[in-house]
Amino acid sequence: MAMHIVVAAKQVLDPEGVNSYALWGRLTVDETQRSFTVGDVIPRIINAYDEQAMEAALRIRDSGVDCRITALTVGGGAATDVLKRCLAMGAEDAVHVDDTESDRADGFRTAALLAAAVRKMGDVDLVLCGRQGSDYDQGTVPGVLAELLDAALVTVAADVRATEDGVQVVRVTPQGLETVEATLPAVVSVSNEIGVARAPSARGMLDARRKKPAVYDSAELLTGAGGGVEVVRVFVPDVQGHCEMIEGDTPAERASRLLDALAKAGVLGGH
Amino acid sequence: MATDVLVVATEASNDGLARAATEAIGAGARLAGALGGELWVLAPAGVAASEAAELGAGRVYTYAPGAEVLSTVTEAAQLSSSRIIVVNRGAIGLDVAARLAARLSGGCVLGVTDVIVQGDDIEAIAAIYGGAARAQFRFVNAGPRVISLAPGAGEPPARQQGRTTEVVHIEAAGDARVRVMEPAKAAEGPRLEDAAVVVSGGRGLRDGENYGLIRELAGALGGMPGASRAIVDDGWAKPAEQVGLTGKIVTPDVYFAAGISGASQHMAGCSNARAIVAINTDATAPIFRYAHFGIVGDCLELLPELIRVAKERAASG
Ligand SMILES: Cc1cc2nc3c(=O)[nH]c(=O)nc-3n(C[C@H](O)[C@H](O)[C@H](O)COP(=O)(O)OP(=O)(O)OC[C@H]3O[C@@H](n4cnc5c(N)ncnc54)[C@H](O)[C@@H]3O)c2cc1C
Repeated sequence: MAMHIVVAAKQVLDPEGVNSYALWGRLTVDETQRSFTVGDVIPRIINAYDEQAMEAALRIRDSGVDCRITALTVGGGAATDVLKRCLAMGAEDAVHVDDTESDRADGFRTAALLAAAVRKMGDVDLVLCGRQGSDYDQGTVPGVLAELLDAALVTVAADVRATEDGVQVVRVTPQGLETVEATLPAVVSVSNEIGVARAPSARGMLDARRKKPAVYDSAELLTGAGGGVEVVRVFVPDVQGHCEMIEGDTPAERASRLLDALAKAGVLGGH
Repeated sequence: MATDVLVVATEASNDGLARAATEAIGAGARLAGALGGELWVLAPAGVAASEAAELGAGRVYTYAPGAEVLSTVTEAAQLSSSRIIVVNRGAIGLDVAARLAARLSGGCVLGVTDVIVQGDDIEAIAAIYGGAARAQFRFVNAGPRVISLAPGAGEPPARQQGRTTEVVHIEAAGDARVRVMEPAKAAEGPRLEDAAVVVSGGRGLRDGENYGLIRELAGALGGMPGASRAIVDDGWAKPAEQVGLTGKIVTPDVYFAAGISGASQHMAGCSNARAIVAINTDATAPIFRYAHFGIVGDCLELLPELIRVAKERAASG
């Protein structure tokens, strides 16, 4: 039977956009104190790590494994753009868990909804997702999801392959690359080390337009709260240090003045 | 449930606890003090565990190095019935913290820069958008509050030489579902994380070959080379050299950023350096907001001069 891979993906504010707004002091907080006012001006994109999880799924297929790929997202109506992207890249199916109420910063609630959706699909062997969202940077979804599905968990993958009866994953650890094997069902979180995700083909984009994601209702999936944390407020920390500019007529002069200044500040010993 | 604090101090070597672990113990001690609870520490048996006692742990839970971490931590959490669990930063954050919280019906916040004590509970402030912003989280369930700290968010406590305390050894069952086939080769030689001088390069180097200048300056200053993710993605530098949110977190005396724009995700890995030096052609580049010393100029002109001067000074002792 074909291996059923679910790729869990979310939509985020483009982090580069958020960065620039923050740096120029234009990242302001709305009256709820819980979100930024830039929601309409900064584009929403697929979380890059999730896109790389989709890439990992496609590479498993490219390696000759008979598999079916379903893209899955939790969110409001606009979140379906993420599904279109995955379909255009080569996913067969897509499932949208409609959850306008959801506080997107609560990975526990998201994971509970994802787990319920995966259970509803019934035959899922492998869930691939990004190592963390580039918005809240929490990275809690893969772990909670594995726990709720009682699945094996492998985090921060740089390479994912299907084996006879499981997956073989190269993980990025602080000590270097490590190879592990996990039984199925498994949840594997994918890191940027896997490399750039492929762009959708023209054909893929045409196909994607014809496919309609299945919609699961969050209220039906989730009885009880399922949450773990809640954002009370967001804010932008001050970053405006004091930078001493090193001047000089030639690069040589500036180089030697810089090393003098560092020695004087006591941060560069022996020079 | 008492408001006791369990610190999970897994980052350790044969020489004892790593900085990530002692910072977590410091933060845990502060919380236990503020909440009137006890401080428990889970650490690998041996030098690290003795050190945990010297750093003030009321009781030390130990485990054999190599034991499965999640079940070990779960057992320590249950035995100690701690309401607050501070997990030291490192891979364990993504691997264990959230699963532990889910298993014990609690909540979890990673990358915590600040903990706010409110009555007998806490709220956690975490870096979001790669450090460009912060979010303050509250915990919605009754179960344990699991947090993991951002670098520098805790101060290691003073060491009381020779202090000992009660030790409870934990023998937890492993997870047969994940098997390590090929362990990571422990990096040989010095680690970027421990370097006193780090010289990093970014896209401003213009060409992969110019990364040689970064290596050379690092060598001349007795430091190590680092890189932005952009040039790691381009293949100019090795993944192990990446500094930032998803790379290494470094805390050198001096950090050189040559041709690096200063995106928050990069700064997340180096903002705790004692001094940051920025070399950038663009005077409005964000990096100058974080830097202590700056040169507006072409790093391809400046790096060779810095190498020359550094070598001269090193030679003249
Ligand atoms: C979720 C997520 C995680 C991330 N994690 C990391 C991470 O861990 N580490 C990381 O580094 N990035 C990370 N990034 C990427 C980060 O946002 C930036 O894109 C990246 O750091 C930019 O690299 P750079 O500064 O080398 O390149 P650029 O942003 O392109 O900057 C190049 C700089 O060089 C300057 N320059 C050009 N020519 C010269 C010259 N001749 N001399 C001097 N200066 C010159 C330019 O003015 C510019 O400021 C992450 C991004 C996301 C979304």
